[in-house]
Amino acid sequence: MHGSIIDTDIHVNYIPEQVAGYLSEPYRSRFLGGNRGPGVQGYWNPGGVIRADAVTDDGDRIASHPETLARHFFDAERIEYGLINPEGAIHIGVSPDLDYSAALLSAINDHMIHDWLPVDSRLRLSIGIGPNDPVAAAKEIRRVGGEPGVVQALMGSGARIAYGQRFYHPIYEAAQEVGIPVAIHPGNEGVGITGPTSAAGYASNYFEWHSGLVTSYITHLISLINEGVFVRYPDLKFVLVEGGVSWLPPLMWRMDKNWKALRMTVPWLTEPPSQTIARHVRLTTQPIEEPDNPRHLAQMLEMFDYDQMLMFSSDFPHWDGDTPDFAARFIPKEHRQRVMSETARELYRLPERLV
Amino acid sequence: MTGERIHVGRVDEIPHGGRIVDVRGMSIGLFRFGEEVSAVLNICPHELAPVCKGIQRGTSLPSAPGEYIWGREDEILACPWHQWEFDLRTGQSLTDPKVRVRTFPVEIEHGDVFIRLRSRG
Repeated sequence: MHGSIIDTDIHVNYIPEQVAGYLSEPYRSRFLGGNRGPGVQGYWNPGGVIRADAVTDDGDRIASHPETLARHFFDAERIEYGLINPEGAIHIGVSPDLDYSAALLSAINDHMIHDWLPVDSRLRLSIGIGPNDPVAAAKEIRRVGGEPGVVQALMGSGARIAYGQRFYHPIYEAAQEVGIPVAIHPGNEGVGITGPTSAAGYASNYFEWHSGLVTSYITHLISLINEGVFVRYPDLKFVLVEGGVSWLPPLMWRMDKNWKALRMTVPWLTEPPSQTIARHVRLTTQPIEEPDNPRHLAQMLEMFDYDQMLMFSSDFPHWDGDTPDFAARFIPKEHRQRVMSETARELYRLPERLV
Repeated sequence: MTGERIHVGRVDEIPHGGRIVDVRGMSIGLFRFGEEVSAVLNICPHELAPVCKGIQRGTSLPSAPGEYIWGREDEILACPWHQWEFDLRTGQSLTDPKVRVRTFPVEIEHGDVFIRLRSRG
């Protein structure tokens, strides 16, 4: 990969003591005492979610410090910009304890803004927001969404009701006002008060859960269109992070077909849903689908405006990540640079810089 | 207006919901709305359904999310199979500018309805 690379999904392992510095009591003691949120589902990934090799020579995790992340990942992979999605935030965001959740999310956001972003000019940040308290989430977006280096607001794709519903609209109003996209990222399905991991209940293991992540993405995307979110918030962009790619064209066909039949029931949709999706929705590449014949994936990409919608992501340092070189091979040359950097550059307004 | 002119009945014989007549082996639906009558070939361009056996109604006009504005009462024909909506005035699909049902020119004289077999356009 010789062109620019903008990585739209990177994770960090923040150090609890540093986050605690931004918490007041009683949350500070609660957090340092180990009560840090609603936990995880408990599915077993035998290799661990964080890559065993993503460590420095002294055994510390590369993604625990901005300096090591910059040196061992950005430098090594020639990343022009890297967007941090603090994945702990998506779990904390679905805690049933809304006040603690909001305080903790603010503390993580402050920690990242003050202790990470200034360290390396390639770093960009998604702030974590709690979808179950949209008023607090909107307040957080207005509080820190305009900070230098903050380019997005992040929620988990696991949710108790679909993201198009008007319950959430204060979040979208704030994001549009501040001028940052809203993104969803998997990992919290079945955690906290999200409900089951799928519409048919709980997955039995990591394989089942991870293979079915797309189901919540499909639900949220249909809901966002159906409820007219992009009619209400015409400047809003919504990013589907790590939700897969090739499911999108058939879903758009299905939605367009149903719109032709049932437009009367959704008269605020004055164009085929696929056109609205193309303008407002962006997707990230990882984990890229790997058909035996790579040409088949290229064909799927050609079935939608992937040159305007698809953005490279590595998911570093997670086990199922894609390197830039690997992902780029699946993208037709014609629009490879759009996917590897330029669509993200436009969306997040990232000035060109020398790598 | 060119084309063969055929008498297809009287205006007051067309009930709400339309009336289907046979004209030279063609099934054609006649629909009244206000003082006007529309004649539609009874074939949907989508899957060739008998479109004139669908529902004559109004529809939801473009509106803000969560709002419904009912309008165009009786001017819309919804196909019975997939509920594609057509504008009875023009035959035009409400969702796809490339799609329309075939319509025939209608003339009304003293309550008698005539159609011209050559379609418009």
